[in-house]
Amino acid sequence: MSRLTYGDVVQLLFHEAALLDRREYDAWLDLLDDSIVYRMPLRITRDPRSGPEIRDDMAFFEENKASLRTRVERLKTTSAWAELPPTRARHFISNILAEPVTDDGTLTVASSFLVLRSRRENADVEQIFGERRDVWRWNGERWRLFRRTIYPDQTTLSVMNLSMFL
Amino acid sequence: MERGGTISRDLLESVRDKIRQGLLPQWVFSDPDIYREELHKIFYRTWQFLGHESEIPQPGDFVTRWMVYDPVLLLRDTDGQVQAYLNSCTHRGSPLCVEDGGNKKTFTCPYHGWTFNTKGELIGVIAGNKVYGEEFDRSEWALRKIPRLEMVHGMIFGCLDPQAPPLLEFLGDLKWYWDILLGRTDHGVEVRGVPHRWVIRTNWKISSDNFGGDPYHTAMTHRSAVELGIAPKDPLYGSYGYQVVLDRGHGFIISTAPPGLQMPPYQGLPEVLWPEFERNLLPAQRSVFQKAVVMVGTCFPNLSWVSPMHGTGGPDEPLTTFINFRVWRPLAANRIEVWSWLMVDKDAPEDFKEASYRSYIGSFGPAGTLEQDDCEIWTRVVESSRGFMAQNKDVNYNNVLNYLMGLDRVKPVDDWPGPGVAYPTCFLDAISRSFYEHWAEMLLA
Repeated sequence: MSRLTYGDVVQLLFHEAALLDRREYDAWLDLLDDSIVYRMPLRITRDPRSGPEIRDDMAFFEENKASLRTRVERLKTTSAWAELPPTRARHFISNILAEPVTDDGTLTVASSFLVLRSRRENADVEQIFGERRDVWRWNGERWRLFRRTIYPDQTTLSVMNLSMFL
Repeated sequence: MERGGTISRDLLESVRDKIRQGLLPQWVFSDPDIYREELHKIFYRTWQFLGHESEIPQPGDFVTRWMVYDPVLLLRDTDGQVQAYLNSCTHRGSPLCVEDGGNKKTFTCPYHGWTFNTKGELIGVIAGNKVYGEEFDRSEWALRKIPRLEMVHGMIFGCLDPQAPPLLEFLGDLKWYWDILLGRTDHGVEVRGVPHRWVIRTNWKISSDNFGGDPYHTAMTHRSAVELGIAPKDPLYGSYGYQVVLDRGHGFIISTAPPGLQMPPYQGLPEVLWPEFERNLLPAQRSVFQKAVVMVGTCFPNLSWVSPMHGTGGPDEPLTTFINFRVWRPLAANRIEVWSWLMVDKDAPEDFKEASYRSYIGSFGPAGTLEQDDCEIWTRVVESSRGFMAQNKDVNYNNVLNYLMGLDRVKPVDDWPGPGVAYPTCFLDAISRSFYEHWAEMLLA
């Protein structure tokens, strides 16, 4: 565990991305620690000398395990129209920067994401991109996602909704 | 502006007459000519929401906003007064400030360096009199003010028409209901953080009408909430309550508990705030507010709000509510940018504010489970409204949409305590008909 290779980290993030792309949401939920904090704050355009672009006091996602489970359960209903018929999304995860695993089994990893989404017959492609800062924890058996902060690069989202997970 | 070739006065009159019969020609959802008419006849003449005072509390605080295509620099000047300027340098027209917000005492144009203070005065010109001469009068080149700027309950509005009626006249009886929403507590509401912004491929009227007069959609569009057991199965659940038709295309909907079901008063707002309601609201306003579960509506043309009650009151799901205002900014006939603000009573307890925030993000904003499905379906409406048959203006294909609900069937409430014409159900197209009739009247004016 402590000798996690870079390849192992890549495999971990790609495995998670594949679960989302394949819509295996229950398996994805199993990857999440029960005390996960999953959030996506807003970004604004501003002079960097006057303060940070990220506004932590407003978010697109402000989730815990229970609220993420509710979102997953919603996708299983017969009337979640944003995903019915299902969209096709592809999570491209790259620029993975992993810190060495700490003695208590904590992996801190940053990655870039690009999600492309196709809706129904539309030839137009929706996209969203940015950076994720993760903390994963070893629970004795497997790695589970403990913290995720998603930083969008856009201030005005060009996707009509965030019916996907990032 | 000259009328587009296809939008004659006769045509607009026929559209208005159709609306009075509960029929809306489908072509108005994506016709580019009517869109241009709307900009000139409606958006350049009505009051537009720019932001809330709490977004710019300190001198020098500013945000940049849009009135459709007019860029606005909204700020609090060094004397503490709210000001709104066209965000465009008077020298060569470059945007003066391209940040979303911040705090500045001066704004320097990056093109040639002209500098303005928060009062809009031109205070710096590179090489100044050496190039423009001693007779150069800087006061003639101050920032251009948005012609009209007024506030109600901290809500800042601008208007591009110098001849427009005052804001309070424009709002009319809607003010009475906004007192309930925004003026019920001693210190009013405050914006949390910054607004959500995202783009939807739809027409601004579809979203305005949806929030303004269409609780009927909740039963199907938001059926996933029923399937999850969050909302009751009763197909009439969204119908209990009142539609209040107001002048100038505005409307206010108060949904109430189903018959026989007890719900907490005042949308479950904390009891500590109730004495403030007594201080700030009239008895008639309190009697309306007391039974409200959801308050939702649209201020013509494109400012909507929703204030629902969420949660069960259990330990994991505190009973909460929030106030969400949104502008449907037109970008094109088939495209809008949504600006969505979360507001909460300043005097509310901190834990309530936090629950309110989480409740908003769970249900509204681009990731909100309710909003997600709205956006998807509004997009589909525009997709199926742009073809030859839907766009046919002679109504050869009977291409009118159904706004008949309750027409001549539902009578107003006799003893309604507030202004406007109140109907005893939310499943009704009365507000929508009024919205579109006013829309047609403005295009004809």
